[in-house]
Amino acid sequence: MVFDGKKAVDSVDFSVRGNELVTLLGPSGCGKTTLLKIISGFLTPTSGRILLDGADVSNVQPEHRDTALCFQSYALFPHLTVKENLSFGLRQRRVGRAEQRERLDAAISQLELSEQLDKLPNQLSGGQQQRVALGRALVMRPSVILFDEPLSSLDARLRDQVRIEIRRIQKEAGLTAVYVTHDQSEALAMSDRVFVMNGGRIVQADAPENLYNNPRTSFVATFIGGANVLSGEVIGVSEGGIWMVQTPIGKLRCIADHEPPNKNTHVAWRPERAQIGAGPLSARIIARAFQGHFTELFAEANGVQIRLLTDASTGREGENIEFSLAPEDVLFVEFS
Amino acid sequence: MMSRPSGPVILLLLLPGFGLIMLFIGAVVGMAVAQSFGLFNLGGESRFGTEFWQDISGKRVFERSVRYSLYIGFWSAIFSVSLAYPLAIWLRKPFVGSGVIGAILKAPLLVPGLVAAFLFVNVIAYHGVLNQLMQAIGFWDGPKRLQNDSSAIGVLILQTWKNLPFALLLLTGAVQGISDDVLDAARDAGAGSWARFRKVIAPLSVSALQASIVIIFIGAVADYSFQVIAGPTNKLSLSQLMVFYRERGDWNAAAVVGVTLMVVSFLGTIGLATAAQLVFKGRFR
Repeated sequence: MVFDGKKAVDSVDFSVRGNELVTLLGPSGCGKTTLLKIISGFLTPTSGRILLDGADVSNVQPEHRDTALCFQSYALFPHLTVKENLSFGLRQRRVGRAEQRERLDAAISQLELSEQLDKLPNQLSGGQQQRVALGRALVMRPSVILFDEPLSSLDARLRDQVRIEIRRIQKEAGLTAVYVTHDQSEALAMSDRVFVMNGGRIVQADAPENLYNNPRTSFVATFIGGANVLSGEVIGVSEGGIWMVQTPIGKLRCIADHEPPNKNTHVAWRPERAQIGAGPLSARIIARAFQGHFTELFAEANGVQIRLLTDASTGREGENIEFSLAPEDVLFVEFS
Repeated sequence: MMSRPSGPVILLLLLPGFGLIMLFIGAVVGMAVAQSFGLFNLGGESRFGTEFWQDISGKRVFERSVRYSLYIGFWSAIFSVSLAYPLAIWLRKPFVGSGVIGAILKAPLLVPGLVAAFLFVNVIAYHGVLNQLMQAIGFWDGPKRLQNDSSAIGVLILQTWKNLPFALLLLTGAVQGISDDVLDAARDAGAGSWARFRKVIAPLSVSALQASIVIIFIGAVADYSFQVIAGPTNKLSLSQLMVFYRERGDWNAAAVVGVTLMVVSFLGTIGLATAAQLVFKGRFR
């Protein structure tokens, strides 16, 4: 997909299994919403195909495509009541009255909207509006349901609640869903698989835990979980397959099942994996942020800034701390 | 802490505005109504009575004028908004040249009605531009009489030409206020172009539509200048009839026609606004 000579989505090839919720995760401008619009038919790809249940729908208009999109802004019809919003699509598709009633009743009870049916959207809270938007998509019983950052307008508490609700409904209804977000915690918590996007491409696709534990690139490592990425030089390998890497903060040991392609490489490690207290590595704390159930420490070691997470209330600004890293917590990553 | 003023204070505060309205509008309307019932008689003895109403309402020319003015008002409003709506939707999102197109479409707002009517007559006159062009391209054998046509097509064209920019101005604002997401949501739910207009765009812009229809209707129903220059010679609009009576010195009859014009405008606007609401929104809310 090209906009003004710039590729917004480039060489993307992925498939979604039935009843699966996959997330397109990436920073703003990475092409995830463009991709969602291509799937829903609002944008036509400059090349390539979109297959829905095996049928090529690349040139099918959105109104004739068997997808349903949940908009970031909810996009409820402001002049229609909740009930009319829910039944809008069913009427457009000329679904029979009995089936309309059956589908509406199912969605209303599933989303607990029975008290709101005669209200206009502006009389609903954000969470209720979100549920109506979800209901409007659900009643269509589409082959694929698409979510475009549906939680971004909600406050933090409601976001968690609706997140769980969306996942529950998706599982209960056996929906195939593509979910777009820039929030890594949302993606990790909800998805069967996460497709990380950057620069219009999918850079890594995997189950949330695999993605978190085995990022392939420095971008994925930092975007998901904010890993520390360091440049380094491989200086040796032991018999147990533990590689010794010289980094600006000191020597790190790293377990890898393959040899790094170059002697000069990059390694990543998660801030929460650092064992603070004793160890061969040391750093000076330059900032500290108490986050409730953990404390975030920003430290400097040999001119390199690193981030550490600890559940203890240790460390003050200006203090030196010592820490160590287990070899299994240090990964080789491609720099990107 | 702010406290809400009491009822009498609110009334006192409203009095200056209310007084002005009473003075400048109420007095004129009241004078016309009074004259139609024989009071404030400028041509004879003032005496309350309904004979002017009985006299005028029994005349065939009056009945034809009411019907004709309603015809002009109704179709001018309908044609103007019918043409303005697609243009407003087309110009909803900016594109290269859309600003220029919008400006050109709004140009008639700057042309006085009389000037427009004379220009129009020049175009459709017996030896006017249109007749010459149609003969030159071999479409017509000889010149046709187009001016002052009995169906008032010329007046309707002029009214539409003059009022379309106004409707466009109001409708463009309303249509631009509808978010892309809402229209995309309708499309995603299976609504084609017509369904999107009928079920989303029209109901969400119905207030602008009502405002356009009402204002155009009132202006067209009371039309004088287009009617005098380009209108049919065998029909009189209510304004023309009013002027006719006034020029004869029959102020009371003129007042009857004037009051009728106000009543027709009032009832017509209520009827059209209600119809627009019912057709496009399907309910009152």
